[in-house]
Amino acid sequence: MEFTLLWAALTAAAVGWLGTRIWPEGLPDHPADRLLGAGAIGLLAGRITAMIAQGTNPLLHPGDILVVRGGVHSSGATIGALVAYMWSVRGELRCLDAITPAALLALAGWHGGCLWRGACLGTTSDLPWAFAEPGSVVSRHPVELYVALALTLAAWAVARLSFRPLLRSGLGLAAAGMVRLLTEPLRLSLTGGPTGWHIAAITVGLVAALAAPWFVTTRASPVT
Amino acid sequence: MTADEFEAKLAALDRPAVVNVWASWCIPCRSEAPLLNAAFEAHGTEIEFIGVDVQDNQPDAKAFLAEFGLGFEHVFDRNRSIPNRLAGFGTPITFFFASGGELVSTHNGIIDERGLALGIDELLHLDP
Repeated sequence: MEFTLLWAALTAAAVGWLGTRIWPEGLPDHPADRLLGAGAIGLLAGRITAMIAQGTNPLLHPGDILVVRGGVHSSGATIGALVAYMWSVRGELRCLDAITPAALLALAGWHGGCLWRGACLGTTSDLPWAFAEPGSVVSRHPVELYVALALTLAAWAVARLSFRPLLRSGLGLAAAGMVRLLTEPLRLSLTGGPTGWHIAAITVGLVAALAAPWFVTTRASPVT
Repeated sequence: MTADEFEAKLAALDRPAVVNVWASWCIPCRSEAPLLNAAFEAHGTEIEFIGVDVQDNQPDAKAFLAEFGLGFEHVFDRNRSIPNRLAGFGTPITFFFASGGELVSTHNGIIDERGLALGIDELLHLDP
């Protein structure tokens, strides 16, 4: 992993930890450790998914897994992180809802980490806050900063919702998918972006949130 | 191909060029290859794509090209004279050239989709 990418990852971890301090209600023990562990497993799952999608067999080329800059599949990473976190809290839905604002904030930190990586810019723009790459005269949307700001607002909004099972986590997933979907046209891409996955995240999130009344909280106490 | 020959080739181009330095033994180059193919498919009519295979042997290089189906032109540079002339560091490297062979920017190390798309977009705005 190159150092600028490492700084972005550390920013995400620091901001996620801050989220667990701002919104501690309902969190299991060691929430930041669980969030960080889930994030690391999600990164691994996302990298392996990206390799398979690019036609590289991870079993034949295990060294390629470390080339994180070669691509991390957002959807594979999300699914991997969710499964890892749910395993760590033994499937307790309340813990998933409790960590959602901090997770959204961590995601905002990852996107905001574009400032370390020099990777904030998207399509061209004449707006006053648009800026150019060093050595270039072409002003561009700071699209990753838009995403970071929108995810921060989503974290704040989700934290104000009640603790009905899957309500916070479902709407948090839908919000993350919506933010990425709406900003995708401003992002430079060679393949059109994973729009289908964003729509899938919005759909799954909304269905989960709407189905929340049918779920029963099995345990109210924090996981030890 | 020598560095002089390569410079002459670039100078003769009437459109921008993306030059990627790779080798079959280079692990990050494996991750870049599908991206370069996607870029070539998306922009191959507007931009020249050239691969420079360095410090390699031809059988391994041909196997690499066959594995990833890289459809653009590649030149063989056993002594690494081309990236050395351009002050590129390590492998992989991606150079972005305006038409006529003027170097616009250099990306040392593995390039991701955003970086490649941005470099290409900058070239397209230089040479509309």
